[in-house]
Amino acid sequence: MSPLKITTRNAATGPVLEVTGDLDYASAGGLRELLPTLALRPGQRLVVDLAGLEFCDSSGITALIAARNHAHAARADVALAAVPGNTLRILRVVGLDQILPIHPDSETATRS
Amino acid sequence: MCRSGRQPDPHEAGGNDAGNAAFAALLEDSAEELYETAPCGYLSTLMDGTIAKINATLLGWLGLERSAVVGRMRFTDLLTVGGRLYHETHFAPLLRMQGEIGGIALEIRGAEGVRIPVLVSSAVKYGGEGEPLLIRTTVFDARDRRSYEEELLRRKREAEAAREQAEAAREQAETDRVRLQEALATLQQSLLPDVLPDVPGLEAAAHYHTASPERLGGDFYDLFAVDGKRWAFFLGDVCGKGPQAAAVTSLTRYTLRAAALHDPDPVAALSTLNAVLHERYTGGDPRYCTAVFGLLEPDPATGQVAVRIAAGGHPPAVVLRADGRADFLPTPGGLLVGILSDPRFVSASTVLAPGDTLLLYTDGLTEARTGEDRATLYGDQALLGFAAGQAGKPARDVIRALTGLLDDFGDGLDDDTALLALGVPAHPAPDPVTKNAR
Repeated sequence: MSPLKITTRNAATGPVLEVTGDLDYASAGGLRELLPTLALRPGQRLVVDLAGLEFCDSSGITALIAARNHAHAARADVALAAVPGNTLRILRVVGLDQILPIHPDSETATRS
Repeated sequence: MCRSGRQPDPHEAGGNDAGNAAFAALLEDSAEELYETAPCGYLSTLMDGTIAKINATLLGWLGLERSAVVGRMRFTDLLTVGGRLYHETHFAPLLRMQGEIGGIALEIRGAEGVRIPVLVSSAVKYGGEGEPLLIRTTVFDARDRRSYEEELLRRKREAEAAREQAEAAREQAETDRVRLQEALATLQQSLLPDVLPDVPGLEAAAHYHTASPERLGGDFYDLFAVDGKRWAFFLGDVCGKGPQAAAVTSLTRYTLRAAALHDPDPVAALSTLNAVLHERYTGGDPRYCTAVFGLLEPDPATGQVAVRIAAGGHPPAVVLRADGRADFLPTPGGLLVGILSDPRFVSASTVLAPGDTLLLYTDGLTEARTGEDRATLYGDQALLGFAAGQAGKPARDVIRALTGLLDDFGDGLDDDTALLALGVPAHPAPDPVTKNAR
């Protein structure tokens, strides 16, 4: 198990969350609690960069949905970047690949 | 302290001048003085208890004049009622027998009616012929000692009370724990059907694996009649664990049941559930579930059962064919139920012929860990392979085999898992008409 670490940076498109480690039952609250602290303006895009994600369970999926809800409530957009294969498989099973735009990497995701 | 005489200690005698002076002062303390003012009571009585001699210390405790005591009172007159009784029954007989007795706790009646706890020792003085002459008695004030003992007793009682309190709390905690576990078990059971109903021309079997009795699971399934000809079923998985998940599970189960009675179309039922969950849980605490909902329509003429399912966010159902094949019945793109206001649910249809079985499962099965790594999972293809090995068997046997598979996962299975198999028997029951006429 790897501890969850989230780094926030700002791109031209809006905030980028770099999530590394495990996003699971024990840690997903960390991402959800971070969301309300983000400065997200209407029309911006919240990018969740999952390049360093090692494990994601249903609680992690819930946190990603919470990120989407948060962005939409701020009339902003949301996008995932660099989703690892096993998490991508889960996203497809639960149909989230249809509602969460998925980019190959954060560079593409932050291109306006 | 009550020794009436003392021989000079050779070591002290050989000491310095100051030591000798102190020693001399001690010697000046006459035996009579020591007797009268010793820090303990002295008295001598005749063999019948009449007091012949008593020292000033004891008279002081008693608040009596010597003249009122000597020759006029007996030793027992000095005692409280309880002390007198004990003296008669134990003290005096033992003294007569042994000639001496020591350290007996009694109470004397002190000045102004105060009861003074004392420790009493007595010895009989004998004459030259061995005849008993008199009884010498020392009386020690035991008030300090008594209060010390009482303090000890009080502390002991307090410790005992604290221990009993802790024990009671522990028992209460244990009772609460058992009660909570019973409540959780009852709640868990309320989320699942007690028995699956008889569906003509169909055999149904289910299994529920609970990962932890303390954490209410979020998996659910059901099978029920919609009308005289059709039956509905569903199976799913609410995200999360514990009471909050159980509340969603309960809401989900009863919503799907009610929705099916209103409109048993699978997509319509899931859409109703979606609307309910989305309205109820929104914002920062999304609650959703995966679900597959299906409608069964047995055809008594052919023995076949038409199945239509819709799914949202749920792993694909497996169809086991009588000829040994196993295939997914995909419902691609069906979204998790409850996260969007206008989701898309996808339906799929098939026909179960005699010997065919439809298998529904939650992802506890396919996401079970099969390696050291958290990412090495059992997976879809392994399930399909396993299912092919069970194809053609009755639903009950398929569930039994899968239950064994779950057991084999051991610690790798840390999620609740629900299994539901709906199979058309290869050889119909001999008299289905009678059986279903009930």
